[in-house]
Amino acid sequence: MSDVLANPHFETALARRAAPTGLSFALREMADRGMIDLRGMTTDRKFMAAVKSVLGADLPKVPRTSVAWGDVKMLWLSPDQWLVLCPRAKAPALAADLGKALSGIHSQVTNVSDMRTVLRLEGENLRVTLAKGTSTDLMAAEVKPGFVKRLKFAEVGALLNIVEDEIFELYVFRSQADYVWDFLLATGTTASALKVFGPQTPG
Amino acid sequence: MLTLTCPVCGAEGDETDFHAGGQAHIRRPATHDPEHITDQQQADYLFTRINPKGLHFERWRCDRGCGKWFHAARDTVSLEFKAYYGITELPPAEIMAQAKGAWADYFKARQRAEAKAPAKAGAKS
Repeated sequence: MSDVLANPHFETALARRAAPTGLSFALREMADRGMIDLRGMTTDRKFMAAVKSVLGADLPKVPRTSVAWGDVKMLWLSPDQWLVLCPRAKAPALAADLGKALSGIHSQVTNVSDMRTVLRLEGENLRVTLAKGTSTDLMAAEVKPGFVKRLKFAEVGALLNIVEDEIFELYVFRSQADYVWDFLLATGTTASALKVFGPQTPG
Repeated sequence: MLTLTCPVCGAEGDETDFHAGGQAHIRRPATHDPEHITDQQQADYLFTRINPKGLHFERWRCDRGCGKWFHAARDTVSLEFKAYYGITELPPAEIMAQAKGAWADYFKARQRAEAKAPAKAGAKS
C-alpha cells in the first residue's frame, strides 16, 4: 500500500488480480479503455452534426446497437445517451473536442474513463456462461455482434457489448469489478461449462 | 414474475429489469393551485393511493435498459399488462374506456378538463 501512496499513479481495478486459469473462456481486463458519456437530443440536427464532425460517424439511433469508426466506438445507452469508447490516452482530448464542438448546444460530455471496468471474455458458448448471471435473453436474434445492453449481471448493474460472436465485453462499475471477476471465476470454470444440446433457434 | 416491454426502447424483460414507480397520474395540487391548497388535499397527494381489483395504471422505469420512465396499464388480477404508453401521455382510448371506479372518474375529469383547456404540447401529466 505504501508504495502506491508514495508513487500515486493510476491503477486499474483488477491490476493486482492474477491471470485466471481453468476457465472455459479467456478473461482479462481491458485497462486501456477511455470512455466518454455523451448526452443530447437526436432531434437536434446541430447536435448530431457537431458530434459527427468530431467523432467521424453518426451516433447510433437504433436501440441496443453500436457504431465503430477508426479507434472510436459509440455505444447506444438510451435515446439520448451514448458511451463513446476510445484509447484511454485520447479520452481527455476527445472529451475537450466534443465539449468545444457542442458549446451552446443542449448536451453533456463527461469523461468517465475511471467509472467502469471493462472485462473482455473470449471463447465459445459465452452466451450460455453469461446466462448464469442474467435474466436477459442472450439467445435472442438481436444479440449479435454490435449489440449493446445494460443488464443485471450477478445482481449488479452491467453493460454488455458483443464485439464479435466469440468476443464479449462486460462493463461493470469499478467498485464492483472485484466481485464480478470472482463471480466469473466461480461460474466460468471448465468443469461447470454448460453444453448446448441441439441448435438454438434465435427469436 | 411480471414480464414487461419498454415503450421507449422496446426492451423486453422481467420485473427485475424494471423498477416499479407506483400509481400513475398523481397530480401535485400545490403545483397547480398553490394558493388554495388544503391540508386534506396535500395529505391525499402524499399518502392516499387506490388499490383496485382489475385494471390499474402504474409508473415503471426501464432500469436495465434505456433508463426512461413510462406508464403501464396492468390488470391486478391476471397480472397482464394491457398497454404501455409514454410518461407524458394518457392511456390509449380503448384502455381508458375499460377503467372502472376511481380510475374511470379520474380519466373522465381529466378529459373534461382537457376539452375545456387543451393541454399544452409536452405538458407533464
